[in-house]
Amino acid sequence: MTASSARQINLVGGIITLLTLIIAVLWAFPIYWGIVSSLKPENEVVRPYIELWPETLTFEHYIFALTETQIGRWYINSIATAVGATILTISTSMLVGYALSQLRFPLRRPLYWLILASFMVPTQTLIINHFVLVANMGLLNTWAGIILPQLINPVVIIVYKQFFDQVPRDFREAAVMDNAGEFRILFKVYMPMNWGVTTALAIVTFIWSWNSFLWPFLAVTKTEMMTITVGITQVSDAFGVYYASQLAAAVLAGLPVALAYLLFQRRVTQAITLSAGIKG
Amino acid sequence: MAEIILDKVSKSFGSVRVINEVSLTIQSGEFVVFLGPSGSGKSTLLRMIAGLETIDDGRLLIGGKESQTLPPGQRNVAMVFQNYALYPHMTVRDNMAFGLRNIKMAAPEVERRVQDAARMLEMDALLDRRPSELSGGQRQRVAIGRAIVKEPAAFLFDEPLSNLDAALRVRTRVELAELHQRMNSTMIYVTHDQTEAMTMSDRIVILNDCRIEQIGTPMEVYTRPASRFVAGFIGSPSMNFLKGSYKDGAMTLLDGSRIAARVAVPEADTYELGIRPEAVKVCEGEGDTKGQVKVVEHLGERTLVHVHLSDGSAIVAQDGGRSQVQPGDEVALRFDISELHLFDSSGKAWHAE
Ligand SMILES: Nc1ncnc2c1ncn2[C@@H]1O[C@H](COP(=O)(O)OP(=O)(O)OP(=O)(O)O)[C@@H](O)[C@H]1O
Ligand SMILES: [Mg+2]
Repeated sequence: MTASSARQINLVGGIITLLTLIIAVLWAFPIYWGIVSSLKPENEVVRPYIELWPETLTFEHYIFALTETQIGRWYINSIATAVGATILTISTSMLVGYALSQLRFPLRRPLYWLILASFMVPTQTLIINHFVLVANMGLLNTWAGIILPQLINPVVIIVYKQFFDQVPRDFREAAVMDNAGEFRILFKVYMPMNWGVTTALAIVTFIWSWNSFLWPFLAVTKTEMMTITVGITQVSDAFGVYYASQLAAAVLAGLPVALAYLLFQRRVTQAITLSAGIKG
Repeated sequence: MAEIILDKVSKSFGSVRVINEVSLTIQSGEFVVFLGPSGSGKSTLLRMIAGLETIDDGRLLIGGKESQTLPPGQRNVAMVFQNYALYPHMTVRDNMAFGLRNIKMAAPEVERRVQDAARMLEMDALLDRRPSELSGGQRQRVAIGRAIVKEPAAFLFDEPLSNLDAALRVRTRVELAELHQRMNSTMIYVTHDQTEAMTMSDRIVILNDCRIEQIGTPMEVYTRPASRFVAGFIGSPSMNFLKGSYKDGAMTLLDGSRIAARVAVPEADTYELGIRPEAVKVCEGEGDTKGQVKVVEHLGERTLVHVHLSDGSAIVAQDGGRSQVQPGDEVALRFDISELHLFDSSGKAWHAE
């Protein structure tokens, strides 16, 4: 490599690094701003100029959010619904993906196309239907009501189907020769072969569910049944617009996901690349 | 241990027929090799016996039981796959036990069979390892062990040695032959390697173009090939073929030489004369024909001499290990007429008496 071409590459590398840095700052700033604001007294928050560090550092909003709101209940609701949605989504999608990939039955392809197509329909357009349905089922203000519409998740099915498609045919044939039925092939051979896919999908599903707002906001009217994302809105409704308290609640809401992310960093990245291939 | 009978079985993929009315009886305890060029349907035929491919037409009897519609697990045969297909997340022990546990065999019996198989294959020490921690040869053993524990009526192998290096292949070949003798079980073995076929089998089934060309012992297919295809396919270097016309007990080749041929062909006509290189000797003085040497291959104990006859047709002859023949030499060739074969235009063979 000549010196000039090496310098050129360094220049390109430098520009890319700089760009990444700028984008990272743009992304991170609101989070930083949110955290800093939640540590300011309310009157400092509403000042019309930008202060990057609180004049008076205070934890009063956190104490407020933890003691004066039903945040404990909201956490429980969020955990229960997110875990429930994750378990149900994973277990159903796994079966559907397996069937689409490995079994031969009439209308298999049209069914797959239908699932692919359903993925083009934004959930928001269905939300009224969901509301009416869930209301008729008498499931408003219940965990089940929050969970049910979240189970429609074609991405997970598609990722599973692609994973099963990639397993060499020999394994299936060896298992068939070994007298294994479909369920044993799925649970004893295919799934354990790569738990990574399942862990990754479970993590993203959990995060999607934890972060979901619109549906839980509609499905729940009672404060004690709210998930944490919906609960945050209550902080202002009940006590006027308290930006700092709201932000403190929001930080608390994001905390478990942030922790989970730090713990499973590699898996989450894998999961996002896995579903990004499809989700675009 | 069981007899396997194929009765006019056929198979098509879509509109393409890949197995056409094949009938074959495999004796109990026999080691049969399916040999043929790529795409001849060897794997398909084996997989039809295993149940991994459906049988469109015809009957399959395994140990006297009609099996053509039974699911693979119930045919009482075990298969060793080319890529072994060991379950990567299971230990060797679990890999071998999986099939037995699936039929709810009692745990002590499972353990006994696994231990027996491990001892037979000398891999007791590997039982708690995973396939990724094994060498290619060891994986191969596990794959065989997984078949042995089922105590099947027949073992089916699809090119089991093709992923091993040359030395290991030779060793495993011998071990498989020993295993067959010890277990005395029916084995069907697919390969396109004729050395494997010749060395291991009791009988070879030569497949070509959807059908069986010949069934016979290794020596039968070598010395009395049933067709021009088999004659050309078996043996390395392969048989020489020379065009000519037969009349009154002699073949006249294109270069004008006359070769006495005691072959009971039905009528005088044009034929192809087939003769293996080891039956064509470079000789002193007048031979049956002569030609110019193009290439000389010294193989140590013998020498292969590639000769062009005066009409341009090529022939490979054999000479002693210390042959002095040089490219460019004119040499005389003598044919051992007891090893002549004639083939008519349809490929049918006649052999010298
Ligand atoms: N699933 C399939 N669908 C369509 N055609 C197939 C299928 N499996 C095999 N064939 C065709 O059937 C013919 C026989 O294939 P087969 O695999 O039995 O050959 P083979 O003798 O085992 O060859 P090789 O030595 O390459 O393994 C080939 O022409 C192949 O293209
Ligand atoms: Mg094959």
